[in-house]
Amino acid sequence: MKKTLIVLLVALIAMTAVFAQSATEAKSEGPMTITMLYAATQTEVGGLPDDWAGYQILKDKLGIDLQLQMLPSASSDQDLMVRAMAAADELPDFITVSRTVWADLVKQGMFADVTDDFAKMPERSKVMFGDSSKAFTTYNGRIYGFATPSAYAGNEGLLIRKDWLDKLGLKAPTTLDELYDVMYAFTYNDPDGNGKNDTYGYGAFVEEYVAYEAYPGRRFEPLMGAFGVEGTWNMSADNFGLKIHDPAYYDWMVFFKKMIDTGVIDPNWQSYKKDDFRAAWKQGKFGIFREQNSAYASENNYSPFDANFPDGGFIVVDAPIGPTGKNSVGPLVEGFRIFAINADVSAEKHAKIVEMFEWMSYGEGYMLCGYGMEGINYILDANGLPQSDASLGDMGYNKAGGQRYIQLRNSSFNYNNATETALRYPGYITKVSQKYMSAGDVLIEMQGKTWTRTPGQNSMPSPESADVYTYYMQGIAEFLNGKTALTEANWKAFIEQFDKIGGLAWEKAGYEYAKENGYLL
Amino acid sequence: MAKKNTYNSVAVRATAADRVFNIVVTILMVLLLIILIVPIWSTIALSFRPPAYIGTYLEGMFLAPWKWSAGAYRALLGNQGFLNSFWNSIKIMVMGVATALFLTIPMAYALSVKGVPGKKWITIFVMIPYVFNVGVVPTYLLISKLGLTNHLPSVFLPVALSTYNMIIMRQFFEGIPNDLRESAFIDGCNDLQIMFKIILPLSKAIIMTIGLYYAVAFWNDYMRSLLYLQKSSLKPLPLLLRDILIGTSMNDNLEANAFGTAPIEAIKAASVFISAIPMIIAYPFIQRYFTKGTLAGSVKG
Amino acid sequence: MVSTRNYALSLEIEDLKSRLKDCSESEKAALTAELKQKKSTMAKAERKALFAQINRHKFIYIMLFIPVVYYFIFKYIPLWNAQIAFRDFISLKRTGITGGTWVGLQNFKTFIQSYYFWTLIRNTLMYSFGKILVSLPLSILLAIMIYECTHKALRKVVQTLSYLPHFLSWVIMYGVLLSLLSPSEGIFNDIIKLLGGTPRSFLTDTSAFPFIVILSDAWKEIGWSAIIFIAALMGIDGTLFEAAIVEGANSWQRVRYITLPSIKPVIVIVLLMKIGTILDAGFNQLYMLYSPAVYSVGDIIDTWVFRGTIEGRFSLATAAGIFKGVIGMTLLFISNWASRKFTESSLF
Repeated sequence: MKKTLIVLLVALIAMTAVFAQSATEAKSEGPMTITMLYAATQTEVGGLPDDWAGYQILKDKLGIDLQLQMLPSASSDQDLMVRAMAAADELPDFITVSRTVWADLVKQGMFADVTDDFAKMPERSKVMFGDSSKAFTTYNGRIYGFATPSAYAGNEGLLIRKDWLDKLGLKAPTTLDELYDVMYAFTYNDPDGNGKNDTYGYGAFVEEYVAYEAYPGRRFEPLMGAFGVEGTWNMSADNFGLKIHDPAYYDWMVFFKKMIDTGVIDPNWQSYKKDDFRAAWKQGKFGIFREQNSAYASENNYSPFDANFPDGGFIVVDAPIGPTGKNSVGPLVEGFRIFAINADVSAEKHAKIVEMFEWMSYGEGYMLCGYGMEGINYILDANGLPQSDASLGDMGYNKAGGQRYIQLRNSSFNYNNATETALRYPGYITKVSQKYMSAGDVLIEMQGKTWTRTPGQNSMPSPESADVYTYYMQGIAEFLNGKTALTEANWKAFIEQFDKIGGLAWEKAGYEYAKENGYLL
Repeated sequence: MAKKNTYNSVAVRATAADRVFNIVVTILMVLLLIILIVPIWSTIALSFRPPAYIGTYLEGMFLAPWKWSAGAYRALLGNQGFLNSFWNSIKIMVMGVATALFLTIPMAYALSVKGVPGKKWITIFVMIPYVFNVGVVPTYLLISKLGLTNHLPSVFLPVALSTYNMIIMRQFFEGIPNDLRESAFIDGCNDLQIMFKIILPLSKAIIMTIGLYYAVAFWNDYMRSLLYLQKSSLKPLPLLLRDILIGTSMNDNLEANAFGTAPIEAIKAASVFISAIPMIIAYPFIQRYFTKGTLAGSVKG
Repeated sequence: MVSTRNYALSLEIEDLKSRLKDCSESEKAALTAELKQKKSTMAKAERKALFAQINRHKFIYIMLFIPVVYYFIFKYIPLWNAQIAFRDFISLKRTGITGGTWVGLQNFKTFIQSYYFWTLIRNTLMYSFGKILVSLPLSILLAIMIYECTHKALRKVVQTLSYLPHFLSWVIMYGVLLSLLSPSEGIFNDIIKLLGGTPRSFLTDTSAFPFIVILSDAWKEIGWSAIIFIAALMGIDGTLFEAAIVEGANSWQRVRYITLPSIKPVIVIVLLMKIGTILDAGFNQLYMLYSPAVYSVGDIIDTWVFRGTIEGRFSLATAAGIFKGVIGMTLLFISNWASRKFTESSLF
């Protein structure tokens, strides 16, 4: 009896403590409280520490008490969280939101009109907010969010193991047939010379859903480009439609099936998650794949490969040319991140948010968000550029202790700034093989390959019912697995059924949208 | 000659059939041991995987222990965010179990007493929401209206009374012989006194078990934490694990690495083990309550 | 609880009733009046007995008060909120829960008429039944084995190891399964290759996938589920066993005639509870393990609904939840009735 009472008492006290603490927070007055939902630079390391100088500066100079809320890592969790908050009217004042969710919520009037706010952000507008950015968040002629650049365009490319090519006496492939021969050789001719039959030609995995790169997705785009079926949509005015309706798509399926049946692709491609895929190429499981410049060449990411294969290395090749002379690494879209203002905030708060957003984009605010605090997380070198010096120890902005201070980086970086690029992707000497690598150089190389420009493709509408896209994915997967025989007749039947359950409606909606927004090429 | 089985303390005569029985049981147990161990061992080996590792999964499992690297564990335990989340989960679990038992025990007992008018209706009242699991959104709307978002109780309060657990507990209370209750009643005790003086002391095993069930549920919950706790300082462990394990960041800051050079599979496996530690430590203590004799009398049908 | 006085009263009433049938007109009025008076006395006595009962158990009602209030707030109000399934719900402020346009059964129709509805139902039931059929007997078997094992060390090790998999989340289990089943280097496929066969990609094979789901779930959960049965076994009265042994029963017979029947009530309760949630087939597991190649056998109601919720179709998701609830409730009532009839134990 006594024990139970003690336990109850403890629980009661604990609960009161929790409630009391939150009550005192609510009572604090003074500067205007602004809640901001943001996507952290590195979710796993934790939130921005309380001693970040930016908090105090915002209070003193702008009269803002910033309360941050972090989005989770997985995009499906992010969407769920934002939608649930919107449904319960718990949306923070300033929100980072994905385009699909934004498109639904803006129709419900959840976001504020910010068309007139661009004039108040001269510094930020110098480096962002081009026409495509404004178009990204336009609804009914007004703008309802700030679309900032989220990544470098064209930062991925087709990589091939150079040492394997050399060992087998092959040259870098330029056509699709040559690429297939290389894949075959990589699989069956023991390119790593270890006497074991344990390597594959091509390696890939299925990415999370992306509107403009439908299943099987981004990692196959260079191969699909050889048939002209890269991307989800054909955006040309006279030939508009879903790529799956293109007759060349069947030829792509035949080629893909051949790859699977002859065993030249790592069979785990359907089961890998992103981390498994990355671990696999670092372990030398396959020799040809599409990868992002930083995931390939940045020091942290390259060093395991370097340690395993000091004599190994990659080259970036252009997308292979297909039977009709086409090639493409994939659809080139500018990635945007949307910052929206809650429609229910007061005009005063709205203005304050814009002021804060501008503060984050240049000078002191830019440095605080992007690199942390001077002397603690970075020091300025001879050229006035921030460096994470060894003297700062663990608190350097790219070290374990300092990483927490740059969690707001996405609110300040503009991804088309040479200084930024040089700092994020510096050149370095690899530890084991002692060669010079630079993710920045790789980026430029990758951007120079053949891409298909399709502006607006990343905001195209999704099908009315999720089942349509499920049918799309499932159908293709079953052809590839051999569950359904890949014949012209079966394919035709698949497309017909797809159209019937909503595929045609989807295409029509896409056409209306593209026409309305001037995306037709 | 009687051989005593120390667990259920049944004196077993060593007849031929009994010997066969024991052998069969032992063989099955060993088989089970192997089936259980293989995947657990492979996960442990995975968590100790050194940074630059090549080889098949099979080799990985039997990788010589001296090649193992504790890098993943060091990275996790040195991570401020990790420790903070761990502590948040402890808070949720302790408060949650206390609240849960406070609600579950009285109700389970009350429904186990015979001859209470209206008991059948109350039971139906309780069972209806059990099958009607209407999903995330309606509960979310309630919690936000109550103003509980960004407070730790929002994680355990909605599920602090699990009908399943309550019914199981009721079942055990019903199994306690009625004569004990009747004689206590004749001695002048009311239901409250009977519960505290007679039933609870006899029910340590079931209370510990149900408490454990709740503890695990609260410790592992991530759906409610995802929806209700947006402040990073409140983030509990499963949410952090989800970010690490599913780990698809919204941006491409891949040049930074939260966990040093430990391979990501090792981080994942290690984080799962670390998060299972409280349970692994707690269970043997609870097992002690399962000794015979704490439940006097038989379990009646 | 009927006192002897009340019993005598009821006999008198019966007697009066039969006399009323055969009596003459003159007696009728008097008899009717007497009957009415006796009936009201009876009713008063019954009410008094009822109140006495309630008073005797007043602490029970006090004990029930807080939990019932809790139930009302946290279980019934969400049910009220679930009416958004019948409405065009947008948000608390814009439409509120009761403000959205009433669309009646529209969302249910959308759900039931959706292209994959029957596939979802079939898959969901397949996994639920499959898991019950495989895991329940295995966990009972495990509990009995642990209970009967004479080797202390073996028993302790198995018992501790058996519940460990429960704590491994499906995210990590996925990695484990991949290492076992990967077509290029998984252990199973290595063995198959050694024996001369061709390796199979189990996780993307529609005929193998259901087995993997059911078996891996069993592996993960039987140890944990066995805990409740072990607790029940611990409660069996030792004298029953001693009596059996005196009568010459060997271990097999002991298990069959004493051990199993003694824990039958617990087994029945657990089974009934599982039937009540038959349409929850293990969301976390399937969400991690499935891929487009196996959607046809891996998509269940909850995974489909989850994709819908991410897309903001809250009303539809809630409608699916209600649908599940109605089916589950019906099944529960049926099986509870059947259980009461055939095994004397039931939920209510």
